[in-house]
Amino acid sequence: MRNPSIIAGSIMLALIVVVALAGPSLVSRLLFPGERPTMRGSYRPYQLDSVEHPIGTDGDGRDGLMVFISSIGPSLQIGLIAGATSTGLGVVIGFLAGYARGRLDTLSRILIDMVLVIPTLPLLLMLAAYIDRWDLYKLSLILGLFGWSFVARVIRPQVQSLRERSYVDLAVLSGENALEIIFLELLPPLLPYIGYVFSLSIVGSMLAEAGLQIIGLGAGGLPTLGFMIAKGFRESVIAVGLLGQMLLPAGALIYVFLALNLINTGLDEVFNPRLKTTVEGK
Amino acid sequence: MTANSDASAGDSAAEGQAAGRREVFQYAVRRFGVYLFTLWAAITVAFFVFRLVPGDPMNILLGNLTRAEGRQRDAAAEEAIIAHYREIFGMDDPLPLQYINYLRKAILGGLDLGPSFVEYPAQTKDLVFRRMPWTIGIFTTSVLLAWIVGTGLGALIGWLQRSRLSQLAVVISTLLQITPVYLVALGLIIYVGYIWRILPAGGPYARHLQPEWTWEFISSLLTHAILPMLSNMIVIGAGFTLGMRALMISVLGEDYLTFARAKGLSPFTVLKDYAFRNALIPQVTALAIIVGATLNGTFIIEILFQLPGLGTLFVQAMGLRDFNTMQAVVLFSIFAVLTLTLIVDLALPLLDPRIRRTA
Repeated sequence: MRNPSIIAGSIMLALIVVVALAGPSLVSRLLFPGERPTMRGSYRPYQLDSVEHPIGTDGDGRDGLMVFISSIGPSLQIGLIAGATSTGLGVVIGFLAGYARGRLDTLSRILIDMVLVIPTLPLLLMLAAYIDRWDLYKLSLILGLFGWSFVARVIRPQVQSLRERSYVDLAVLSGENALEIIFLELLPPLLPYIGYVFSLSIVGSMLAEAGLQIIGLGAGGLPTLGFMIAKGFRESVIAVGLLGQMLLPAGALIYVFLALNLINTGLDEVFNPRLKTTVEGK
Repeated sequence: MTANSDASAGDSAAEGQAAGRREVFQYAVRRFGVYLFTLWAAITVAFFVFRLVPGDPMNILLGNLTRAEGRQRDAAAEEAIIAHYREIFGMDDPLPLQYINYLRKAILGGLDLGPSFVEYPAQTKDLVFRRMPWTIGIFTTSVLLAWIVGTGLGALIGWLQRSRLSQLAVVISTLLQITPVYLVALGLIIYVGYIWRILPAGGPYARHLQPEWTWEFISSLLTHAILPMLSNMIVIGAGFTLGMRALMISVLGEDYLTFARAKGLSPFTVLKDYAFRNALIPQVTALAIIVGATLNGTFIIEILFQLPGLGTLFVQAMGLRDFNTMQAVVLFSIFAVLTLTLIVDLALPLLDPRIRRTA
């Protein structure tokens, strides 16, 4: 794929993944040899930017930069797991709904549309109220469970239109069964589109996670970018003068969204070549 | 569609109109049926999600109270208290019975959703009604304004697609669109509210005022509403701008536009009557789709700006594990989203003659 948007987005994404993976140990070894910069009370809290602490220290006496760098990984992980869950579920349901005909089809459409319009945030919050011990996987799975309807909603019509093509008829005539048709005939041409939807789901999940943290109801204590922003807001770090502790995590979130958005635009063009010609053609 | 009505003359046109009206009526009835069904299903899902999550709300509530008071109660007395309240709230009945009672009270009892646990015996209904105007007000105003501004801007950008300025506008709106609404809100609070101190960034109105019909109060209310609405508008508006631009560009490629230009119509007429109107319809559908997501955003905005809306009510209720109130907020937000979607969908035939007149 030589699509410039996909390449640019992938490079951006790869960069932040590298930072998330290698960053914590690297920075801690370079800047804080022999210290424990992310342990509470390691330093005096609310120190302003300095050579030792490039973006200062937070209210718990931890180094801001280290907290920031080690927050990137969990955020990405949540996005990835939740995105994969909702895409997986949505693709399965979307395929079933698109492949079925008659009453089953109508029923599934109504079901998908129904789940789609239910505002998810209150339901998520409700669950958040009941779960005492949060961990990253629980949170990701729950976010994923709430995201499938959108995926199913957009996959279904694609499957429907594909299954009317003559090559599918040919496959039916040559004796392929339903599973073979789905996996060998319908799935492969939809893969770029599924990639597109997957990337949208990642964005949606990361967005929801950070949103939950910011209103103070997420998995408290999970070190994510959203949690850092929320903590910064509550401790009014901006008023203290620690701009970086707010801008860096916010910037990192937007950066990830931008990268995924670029990949999306590219995948959309690959899947839907008409977009490209209408934009550039005239 | 125009060819259709041009060809048929006199009687058949009138007949066609009657048939068209019947079609619209059928469409409306069907749409309303789906609405009622969805509403019922959503209520049911919300009810069971609530009951099936582990953890007895009464135990949690009492545990919280005990912890807050900081002393141990007599275990037997505690049991008795829990049993008493479980009975009042009807929590000992089997689940299906609870469900039927719940529906019966909600529908026949005039939206009786039970008393609030915490502000017992206040009705959750009253709590919700008191908070609802804030949420609905901010939500609908900002969505409508964002839609109008975004659609206008998007049409313009799409029309002038090759100018530098509109390319810049595309980049800016893409950036704004991917920025989460709460980050925009936080940015506005921090910069406009606290650093530059241009507009108030917290609370529904100035603290020393009382709700009354005076100019001072109303102006304070309005200035306090600017930032919350703006945060919503920036993000949604950017989305609508991009959507409308894409629609405009695809309409611009159509043959009837070349024809309109060849007829010698003024560019403005072509833009207004040929391009804009046709691009508008999917844009209205888009309005219906984003309603749910936007309500989520509005809840977060309320909490960040400390507005006394449903979002803040929910968070307060959640802190105290006020089960009935939480459920009522969920139900009302589902109701609001479904109803707004219904209104948009029913308004569609007014805009799109193809839906109005499908034979």
